[in-house]
Amino acid sequence: MKTAAELNYGERGTIAEIDCAHPSSRRILEFGFTPGQVIELISRATFNDPIAILIRGSLIAIRKSEADCIKLK
Amino acid sequence: MTSALETPVITLIGPPNSGKTTIFNILSGKNYKTVNYPGSTVEYYTSRILAKYNIHAELLDSPGLISLIPESLDEKITIDSLYHHPTLGTPHLLIATVDASQLSRHLLLPVQLLKSGFNVIIALTMNDILQKRKVTISIEKLSKELGCSVIQINGRTKEGMGKLISTMNSSLESIRNNGKQKPVPYEQVVPNNSLVDTFLEIERITNKVLEFKVDNHNINLKNANNQLKVHPSILQNNGFTTDEITLKLDRVLLHKYWGFLIFILVMGLTFTSIFWLAQPLMDLVDELFSGLNNIVLTNFQIGWFSNLVAEGIISGVGSVLVFVPQIIILFVILGVLEDSGYLARGAMLIDKPLSKIGLNGRSFVPMLSGFACAIPAMLAARTIPNRKERLLTIFIIPLMSCSARLPVFALLIAYLVPRDKLWLGGFLLAGIYLFGITISIVIAALLNKFRQKLFKVEDSSTFILELPTYRLPKLSSVLSHTYNSSKEYLLRAGPVILIFSILLWFLVYFPDTNPKIETDGLTKTQISQVEKFERLEHSYAASIGKFIQPVMSPLGMDWRIGVSLISAFAAREVFVSSLALTFKVTAEEEASQKTLLNSLRSATIGNTGQKLFTTATTLGLIVFFIFALQCISTIAVSRKETGGWKIPAVQVFVFTSLAYFMALFTVNGLRLIGIE
Repeated sequence: MKTAAELNYGERGTIAEIDCAHPSSRRILEFGFTPGQVIELISRATFNDPIAILIRGSLIAIRKSEADCIKLK
Repeated sequence: MTSALETPVITLIGPPNSGKTTIFNILSGKNYKTVNYPGSTVEYYTSRILAKYNIHAELLDSPGLISLIPESLDEKITIDSLYHHPTLGTPHLLIATVDASQLSRHLLLPVQLLKSGFNVIIALTMNDILQKRKVTISIEKLSKELGCSVIQINGRTKEGMGKLISTMNSSLESIRNNGKQKPVPYEQVVPNNSLVDTFLEIERITNKVLEFKVDNHNINLKNANNQLKVHPSILQNNGFTTDEITLKLDRVLLHKYWGFLIFILVMGLTFTSIFWLAQPLMDLVDELFSGLNNIVLTNFQIGWFSNLVAEGIISGVGSVLVFVPQIIILFVILGVLEDSGYLARGAMLIDKPLSKIGLNGRSFVPMLSGFACAIPAMLAARTIPNRKERLLTIFIIPLMSCSARLPVFALLIAYLVPRDKLWLGGFLLAGIYLFGITISIVIAALLNKFRQKLFKVEDSSTFILELPTYRLPKLSSVLSHTYNSSKEYLLRAGPVILIFSILLWFLVYFPDTNPKIETDGLTKTQISQVEKFERLEHSYAASIGKFIQPVMSPLGMDWRIGVSLISAFAAREVFVSSLALTFKVTAEEEASQKTLLNSLRSATIGNTGQKLFTTATTLGLIVFFIFALQCISTIAVSRKETGGWKIPAVQVFVFTSLAYFMALFTVNGLRLIGIE
């Protein structure tokens, strides 16, 4: 299953589920990453990490290790 | 004593960047107290609402929160205190700030608060941003859906504040008549709390309340999508809430390569301006206080009291105030960067390299502030949610070369650099800063390896940060932030530095031996210089200095430098004035005519005729100052911010021994290769 960390520049995806086993999963949900939402990768920092994701009209910077628990459809 | 019912408590609550502080500032008139939740380092602000608003109530600000489910210890304290504040009880009324342009994300907290049973008024901010995107929110519908009052506020024009005030008044009135509600902790109200369900509920609400202004030549997106039976969330992403300018700017500012380059450039500019802009102002403060000092010394009867006023108190106040220009400039620049939305991007860009050494992107601002002063820097480290990363950041902050060290480096470099090669000084100074940064990286990386032993906490490292929409920085919020940070510095560091310089004055002045000297053929100034010298030589400070002489000798230094190093514990730049005091007066001949640099050049160790300030010892001193944690105020703040003596004790031990041994190594290493 593809995750948000694997998106390319400008690529969109729809969230299928959030991996609840990840320690940051609740915070990720609280930031609005809920199933059904469409997200778009806006930027990757110089060392490819963290990434900036557009969700619900806001830009959120998130580490790839954390974006990995956002599973896409 | 008024009863709780007579002075109601109103708490402001909201996510970061939701305009909470702006509303707090308007209501409180920026006149507030900083308070800690008992037994914790979590701080909040409290104030009376301005009299002109005619609400008799205690106003509390709270740290930014996005949800009622605590994620860290600090958040748990904040949330617990919301339900039951240790001294003020449960708030009568909550004002929850919500960024209208991020409605679906920011409604989470108010929805949870309402479910918990709080009295909530929603203050809807940033409506102008939404309007630019041709979207409006139906206040009536939102209020009906949530079951609470919703007021639109414009933080810049204060539009809507009148309505907020009258709603607050009528809510308090009805609470007075019907009694206060008793909120139940959220986790008890909704035991199997599902964030996904809560968000679905919020989406249902937002879809009802958002209204689109449709241009004639544009397709009606909402209708079109409804007809096509597209999921409403897709509409949200495709349609309206994104700020196009922000996305365009970020294409450059968050570009994989350009982004980092621009970041380095911005930080370089910030960094240099802290020094170049502040220097003339610092000189001014310095001159002002040495002028005052002179006035007192020349116009009042010579004695211990006038001496205390001049050398102890006036010089002490001067050494507190001399840093204020730098702190102000740093916070104005940081405030502009923060308010414009860039600082969050900076944290993102630097997160990866910092995470390699156990830090976090959020460590960046505290570390940068450390170059001005470690005290506001340690306070800024509170924004780091992960405790281990926060402690590690606080630990290495003293290695950032703070402005107090600048006069010391300036003096020592001026001594080292020959007159015809002044440019060399600039390189040397840059080298000192780079060396300090490199060392802090090495130490952070090493500590990260042994972190279990020192920090004993292991919560998972996280970096999720909202990148706010770019906007023009608001001058008033930048200035009020700057004002508060400078006040914080003055209140925390000021008394300590002042007390220490008075103590130091005492050690240098007493026991007040009345020196018997040959006054024949000497001018008045010369007499006072010789007196000073006699007094110093027999002072308590000299005894201490001579006591630590065995430690100083391996460094090629003597008791006079030892005394100055001890006095530098008041504040590092006191080293310079202390050197001036000891060397100008101990120089053998024509003491009064010598400048500090010249008296340093001619200083010798004891009666051996061996030069005291050689290239080796001067470089050794520079190295000593790079490492040494010589600042009582920093130690005090470190204790407060880390919640114990352990970390400050380790800091003092590690940095002081590193300073000593690195200086020892430098001096003797240089001598080995033939540099004296």
